[in-house]
Amino acid sequence: MRSWWRVLGVLLGVSVLFVGAWAEKLIVIGPWSGAEADPFVAVLDAFKAKTGIDYEYRTMRAEDLSKVLPAQFGAGMAPGDVIFMWGWWIAKFADHMADLSDVIADVPFAYTTPLVVDGRTVGVPYVVFVKPGFWYRKSFFAAHDLRPPTSWPDFVSLLKRIKAIPGIEDAAASGDGVGWPLSDTTEHFILAYGGVNTFLGLIDGTIKWESPEVRAVFEKYLVPYLDYASEPIEWTSALDLWWEGKYGIYFMGNWITGMVDDPSDLGVFALPGAKAVTGGPDIFFVPKYSKNLEAAKKLAAFLMSKEGQERRAAGGGKLVVRADVSPTAYPPAERALMKALEGFTLVPDMDDTIGGEWQAAFWDQLKLLWVKPEALDDVLRVLDEKFPKG
Amino acid sequence: MRSSPRAEPRGRGEGKPRKGLPLIFWRPSRRREEWVAALGFLAIGLVLIGFFVIWPSIRTLWLSLFDADGFAGVRNFARLFGDREIVDLGRFLRREPPWGALLHNLVWVCVHLPFTVGLGLVLAVVFSKIRSWWVGIARGAIYLGIVTPLIVGGVIIRFLFDKHAGMAPQILGALGAPVPWSAGWTAYPETALLALVIGSIWLWTGFSMVLHSAGLSTIDRELYEAAQIDGASELAQFRYITLPLLRPVTLVVAAMTFLWELKIFDIVYVATMGGPGGASNVLALEMYFSAFRELDPYRASAIATLITLFSLPVGYWFARRRLRR
Repeated sequence: MRSWWRVLGVLLGVSVLFVGAWAEKLIVIGPWSGAEADPFVAVLDAFKAKTGIDYEYRTMRAEDLSKVLPAQFGAGMAPGDVIFMWGWWIAKFADHMADLSDVIADVPFAYTTPLVVDGRTVGVPYVVFVKPGFWYRKSFFAAHDLRPPTSWPDFVSLLKRIKAIPGIEDAAASGDGVGWPLSDTTEHFILAYGGVNTFLGLIDGTIKWESPEVRAVFEKYLVPYLDYASEPIEWTSALDLWWEGKYGIYFMGNWITGMVDDPSDLGVFALPGAKAVTGGPDIFFVPKYSKNLEAAKKLAAFLMSKEGQERRAAGGGKLVVRADVSPTAYPPAERALMKALEGFTLVPDMDDTIGGEWQAAFWDQLKLLWVKPEALDDVLRVLDEKFPKG
Repeated sequence: MRSSPRAEPRGRGEGKPRKGLPLIFWRPSRRREEWVAALGFLAIGLVLIGFFVIWPSIRTLWLSLFDADGFAGVRNFARLFGDREIVDLGRFLRREPPWGALLHNLVWVCVHLPFTVGLGLVLAVVFSKIRSWWVGIARGAIYLGIVTPLIVGGVIIRFLFDKHAGMAPQILGALGAPVPWSAGWTAYPETALLALVIGSIWLWTGFSMVLHSAGLSTIDRELYEAAQIDGASELAQFRYITLPLLRPVTLVVAAMTFLWELKIFDIVYVATMGGPGGASNVLALEMYFSAFRELDPYRASAIATLITLFSLPVGYWFARRRLRR
């Protein structure tokens, strides 16, 4: 009799496993982890509560996805149902993406637009990050009687004063990952002292990196700044060191508002003279090989719905892309940031827009420039050489 | 007396059905039976190797002979040798890196190989002579490098040479060493490649030490006793007994290390991503960039073929040696 019970138990277990395997479960792949992922996971939880569709969130950087996806697409497969990836990459592999035109038909986009290839919406911007400038701790500036600068000489003087403070290693912390925090800083310098047209000309290749106007930005502004900037430090470590007071200012995107202990102590200033700041969307796509295509589209629709966007806005760290989301939906730090950004033009992040081999070269060459400013000629030459042909 | 089956004469055409006899009387020879049995055992392995190793290798070689415009012959290879990212002889040893990925691999071989093999040998000999409680711990610590995943190894190297967390810059900084020695080694072109090579010496020395230790245990102790009776010093015993008898092991370690250095990727990818400014780039990483960044399978295949070509002589020697044994 006992053996019958055992057989029944095994059968029951196997059935549960089968039902579990067949149940609709979405795999969502995004680049965020830890505290940075929490606001997004909260939105996914809300989706699950509303629709009953289960999900699994997996963290994978775009860099790592770029190795996996082409082979999977080649085999007619995909590792997830909703995947966040670089825009330039999605456009390149557009044939493998589901058309999301219907899903976003009624979304009033602000800051950015969906990624459309051959009339099909293959990528949807979900949130926007901005790189507004240099962050500082209000308490640190108050303790040392420092103020945000209003001119370039003022900025240099600020750097000198910070560097002279006992216990300070360098005036500015320089974050490093694969190299993108340095490219963000460089882009900000180009926008501030080269202007928006020079910046956009560099993106579309009509202006060379070795041209006099670009060289001038580097020689007159960026290279002198490097005297006061630390060598590249892993960006989350740099964030901690800056917060602890080893550095006075830190150039970073607005996502750090969700990563510090006290966002209300954060202040930010753009380089004096800047009229534009870079920003970019975090874009997702649904692969046409998704095993749960309809459920994935439901999730996409929820992420872009007013409810989904308001929930994400409440989490802070990013600006949502729906124009009808009220500023009151954001935490105070984001509201302050939105106020600080009034009057600024938002231009696309340069390296994310160009992408490909050039992006990696840009990051790598800036890592070299940061520790060897005298290599400027080589750096600019390589950036021109590596720029996509045609 | 019946002769054994092995002693039976094998004529030409044995194993084939004789003319004029029905097929039912044909019996395969023992040799053929052995082959069939061997193939039966090997079949699954051969299919897997054929599918996952041989076929991709042939495809890679084939792709390396093409470019986006069609058949390119050896043009991809010619381009590689004219590319500063692969070979930059103008800078090599005259200025700080980058010297090109191929020359960086050469540096790995020239520095990492002798250190790893030599250190592993010396440590194996020293540990075999000392009887103490800490020897096991020291052995374990050194061997830890080889069981550590290389991705983790890359992270360790990154922190080992980090300005704030790293031991090396902190010690050198306290001794008054200038930048970049007292700064983050992986951030500076002068020290990035060196940091990776030094870090990976720890990661790989365990392998050399374990193989040499195993080799040492096979040497007859009587040889040492005889040498001691003849008055040979420790150094002489090492020179005339240990070293020659460990030669086969040392050669195997050197060959394996060489192959490992040619395809080194993980550590570089994690610790420096080949930077700064390509100062620590290696062939395998350049192949990766070509394949997954440039989305250029032809250049990537040419680099992969190049790595294979450099590995072939050592692989061939290794295979021949094993077959001879």
